[in-house]
Amino acid sequence: MELDTETQGVAKDGSNTQGVYIYQPAKPHGERPSKRRKVQPENKEQKTESHLFVPLLDGEENESSIELRYNAYQQLWSTQEKKIQETLNDVDSEVLENVLSFVRSTSHQTYDGCIPTALITVGSNVSSLGRLLSKLNDQLTASEEGGVVILESGDAPNLKATLKNIIRAAITNTEGNDGYQKFLTDREGPRLLGYDLDLLGDYVKRKGAKKLVVAFRDSEAFDPNILIDLLSLLSSWLDRIPFTLLFGISTSVELFEGRLPRSSVALLRGRYFEIHGASNCVDRMYERLQADQNGRFWLGRNITGVLFEKSNDYFQTPEAFSRTVKYAYMTHFFANPLAMLLSDEVSVNRQQVKLCEAIRNLPSFRRFCEHLLDDASPEQVHSLLENDEFLFQQSLKYIEIGQQQMRGIFKAVKAIHLCLKGMDVRKKSTMSDLSIRALSGELQDSTYMDDLLRGLKTLNSSMLKEFLSFMPQDLTNCPEFQEIKSDFKALLQTYQGTEPLRSEYDSHNSVVQQRVKLSRGKAKLPQQNIEYTKVIDRVHALSERYFVETLVRPQELFLHEAFLLDMKNPLKETFSPRPRFAIERALASPFDYLISMSDRTEAKISARQPATAILYQLYLESGALVNVYDLWQAFYAVFESEQGNACDERMTMTLFYRAVSELKALGMLKSSRKKVDHAAKSAWIGL
Amino acid sequence: MLPVEIPRLLSQHWPCRELQTRQIASLLGPLGPSPATLVVHGISATCKSTIVRAVLSALEVPHAIVRSTECITGRHLLTKILWATLEALGKRDDWEKYGKGRCEHVSTLAVLLSECLASMPRNAAEKFVLVLDGIDKQREAPQTLLSALARLGEIIPRLSVVLILSATPRPLFLQTAGVPHIIFPPYTRNEAITIILNSRPPPVACLSDEIPPNIYPHFVSAIYDSLVGPTASSIPTFRSICEKLWPQFVFPITNGETPPGGNEEWDFSRLLLKNRGLFRHHGEAALVHHIVTEEPESFTNGSVSKPTLSVVSTPSPLPSLPYFPTLILTSAYLASHIPQRLDTIFFSKFSSSSLSARNKRAHHRRRLKLLSKAQAEDARTTSNDPSTPSKKGKRQKTRITKSTLESAFATSSATTSAAGATGITGPSTILTARPFPLERLIAIYHAIDPNPPANPILQAAVSDAIYAELATLRRLRLVVPAAGRESGGRMGLGSGGLNSGNTTSDAGERWCVNVSGDWIGEMAKGIGVEVGEWLAGGLD
Repeated sequence: MELDTETQGVAKDGSNTQGVYIYQPAKPHGERPSKRRKVQPENKEQKTESHLFVPLLDGEENESSIELRYNAYQQLWSTQEKKIQETLNDVDSEVLENVLSFVRSTSHQTYDGCIPTALITVGSNVSSLGRLLSKLNDQLTASEEGGVVILESGDAPNLKATLKNIIRAAITNTEGNDGYQKFLTDREGPRLLGYDLDLLGDYVKRKGAKKLVVAFRDSEAFDPNILIDLLSLLSSWLDRIPFTLLFGISTSVELFEGRLPRSSVALLRGRYFEIHGASNCVDRMYERLQADQNGRFWLGRNITGVLFEKSNDYFQTPEAFSRTVKYAYMTHFFANPLAMLLSDEVSVNRQQVKLCEAIRNLPSFRRFCEHLLDDASPEQVHSLLENDEFLFQQSLKYIEIGQQQMRGIFKAVKAIHLCLKGMDVRKKSTMSDLSIRALSGELQDSTYMDDLLRGLKTLNSSMLKEFLSFMPQDLTNCPEFQEIKSDFKALLQTYQGTEPLRSEYDSHNSVVQQRVKLSRGKAKLPQQNIEYTKVIDRVHALSERYFVETLVRPQELFLHEAFLLDMKNPLKETFSPRPRFAIERALASPFDYLISMSDRTEAKISARQPATAILYQLYLESGALVNVYDLWQAFYAVFESEQGNACDERMTMTLFYRAVSELKALGMLKSSRKKVDHAAKSAWIGL
Repeated sequence: MLPVEIPRLLSQHWPCRELQTRQIASLLGPLGPSPATLVVHGISATCKSTIVRAVLSALEVPHAIVRSTECITGRHLLTKILWATLEALGKRDDWEKYGKGRCEHVSTLAVLLSECLASMPRNAAEKFVLVLDGIDKQREAPQTLLSALARLGEIIPRLSVVLILSATPRPLFLQTAGVPHIIFPPYTRNEAITIILNSRPPPVACLSDEIPPNIYPHFVSAIYDSLVGPTASSIPTFRSICEKLWPQFVFPITNGETPPGGNEEWDFSRLLLKNRGLFRHHGEAALVHHIVTEEPESFTNGSVSKPTLSVVSTPSPLPSLPYFPTLILTSAYLASHIPQRLDTIFFSKFSSSSLSARNKRAHHRRRLKLLSKAQAEDARTTSNDPSTPSKKGKRQKTRITKSTLESAFATSSATTSAAGATGITGPSTILTARPFPLERLIAIYHAIDPNPPANPILQAAVSDAIYAELATLRRLRLVVPAAGRESGGRMGLGSGGLNSGNTTSDAGERWCVNVSGDWIGEMAKGIGVEVGEWLAGGLD
């Protein structure tokens, strides 16, 4: 089925996305290529600028709407990016504070001779450490206390280079590159070697630096031997250079300690910090992006699923998350002509025949019209179908309505999230779970909703108060809600007890009720509790109604194609490419990719296929060890059966050798040590 | 100062080193000619460098000290020697005269040093002492370096070279006879206790001044006998243990508890009885240094007598890996610890239903268990080992000895099966992980996947995803290429820092898991895979 979708995709998209083409050299051999003239670069740039987006609708989209799409994208993404940046900056500020105070408060004196060391576990959120360190560096350099030297495992191929890098980074951090050169040359006495820590000692003395933080970003990837050497060296310099070490740890502190010998561990002492996992950060970013007050464009259920799967189950940084989101936005505005409707500058006179035609072809348009017909307004449908101007006007109006509803959905989701959190329901609900359900229109019937409404009934009065404050504005603004609220307030004012009021649904009361039933008396619930129960009932009914109204299926909104992107595919294909699958498929059935010359579709091996593909298919039939002579016989048989006597054995053998060496280069075949005339299979299809 | 007076002076600061001090002082003293080379050796933390330094500064002999731990290469060391000499002679500004401050070979050093020293004023003391501290640990030292440095003193008349070594020198390691050696032996029990008692006991709040002199000496010797002596620890460790444990030891006094037995006062034996647990728990913990230590504040309030091991600030021992990498790591672990020829029994869903596959596994395990039990019994009958488990125990644990393993290797096809030890920690951590090809990892991944895809055809891209995650796991050195592991020694390192970024892999390249089984088991449990179920000899 993969196959089907792909071949269709190729056919639909036309020439631009053609994966395979025939290479035609521009000139025959032996002729010199004509000299290229230099073209003014400015001219070219201007041209490409305006054509960043290609015209859609069979190329008939006019320039202004392309520009609209482009500008709408730019505007939208710049605001979203700002939000992402804010979240990223905000997220680790607490850890930064702690680390900073650790760096400031400790020295080798306080740790009697050990190097002060901060161990920061980052989990899978690898990139966060980089941000943290650069902020730390900013703070330390701003207050002229010192600086941060960031080391990556690539900077440390051996001890000499590592020291050189540390020294250079420390000096260029404040002095710049020229300053470093000057520092090397303009000093009294002989020129020092680049890896001599005397340089750094001089620098520290001259600048009066109090802290020099050496940060190992990916401490696991460092060669432990170098690390051991480096630690002993740094500790012997500790009386002259105020080092503080900082290790980023992705696994665990125990493992980190276990990998160093005891003598090196004994040189270090310090504290441990934890940066929260990536998923927390991603959740917050997603919430900022989707549940914004003025949101105009949303990512649908499938994309959300892909995004969260990636960030929860794989090593993925928040930055990668934001890149993925950006890509999704780009695909939408690049390839969907309806995206121009999202622009601020769109107005009625921007309409186009082609665009209107496109709108009429939308599934959501069809559903909308059917809906109108059910409501018995055929004239409107008529004019929608006939009158471009009317259609365009209506589209703009309905886009606005649709966006309003999407905002409503996310407000409701947010409220549900807060309420569930406040009610302390056992099952944990995350914003991502709720959003996915809401975007697929399933939240209404989900267990979350049941939990919420059931929990709502058992709330006591103080909790209800809190609960009401979580409610979204759309609900609180309606008069019925105000009425309930004022009744509730009045009830509370008359009530004097210290215990909060309980409704009859509350388990505390229901026990009482049962006992009362046994004694065949009327429940002796206090009057106020009965009144309170009434209030609860009203709140329950109202919020149920509200949620049913708000949580519509986004896919049923008219023109949701314009403001909701819900296609898994370009995203998934781009961010998880499948090279191995593609290679295996190309070899196993080459005519998926190549154009077959013969008329009939051949499923079997034939001589028309490339030699490597033939060999690969023969190889698939064999076991772990292949006798090369057998393989050759089979290979030859393929050609022989097809070409008969005309088959040139030497030619075929050349092809065979080539195919074997190509398979070898692909890592699928290697010579076997067990048997001389055999080759070993080293890759299995379909893994 | 005269050499005679020095030992008395120094012994106040550094006791128990009178002999060595006197030897050094008389050898290097200004009165007689000094030996061309002097070797000072002893294990670490025996006060070698400190004494040499102190004696030289007390003698007021011109000297230069170079710490060779700070020198990265042999050339660096030579250059440093030259500069240190120039600096000691007060000729720092004349560096251009002496080889422009550059010195790349020992022979150059000899020439330059003799030039330096020749220009020394005649009337000053006749000798110059060059101390090379820790010279046996010099990085990238040429083989002839030591003997060449020892010759310096012979070539240059006024120079004497002091070599401080922390390893015991082989006979004639300098290729010269008659070099005086001074040994700094490790401190004996009495010496160590004297040194610690030389300084005052660590101050403890609300402890009157009269008590420590009675109890502290006993406490220190108890610490030495129980913790320091048996582990051959150094003086600094000794001191830090004393400092850590003393406040806890006297806690019953400061807390105002009444001593048992109707006595008015606490004496040492009562305190010791009271604090039996202290030596066991805290004492052993104090011997092992951890980077993240508990803050000392936690002792001051109340709950000192109980060892508060679970401090909030200590990090969790398990790394937090995402779901997918954890599963890959688990597969890698299984691939490393299950012999390849058992794969069809353990992982194949092909030949039969999974139930019978499980039966096969169980059968296999039983067989291995029987085998190893027989082995253990053999061992018991032959050696009559008293430490074999008594029959009263709930379950008979099979002892895993080297011979058990060897025989299991020899007779059974399953090499990992160290038989019915408890849990996965037993057998799997003893045996080393063996390398496996990547294809096997992927195949095992498919076999153990707890959430297998509904439609396996759609899942075709898993291997590509695995490659990407494996690269990260490799960076974390949880899974490493096998070739690098062999050269990496104890830590199972990837092959050096040079190719730490290099992720090219050859067709049949083999990989190896690089972490212990216990916590892979824990992590796998977190994602719903029971490692023991798959591992040979794992479950029972």
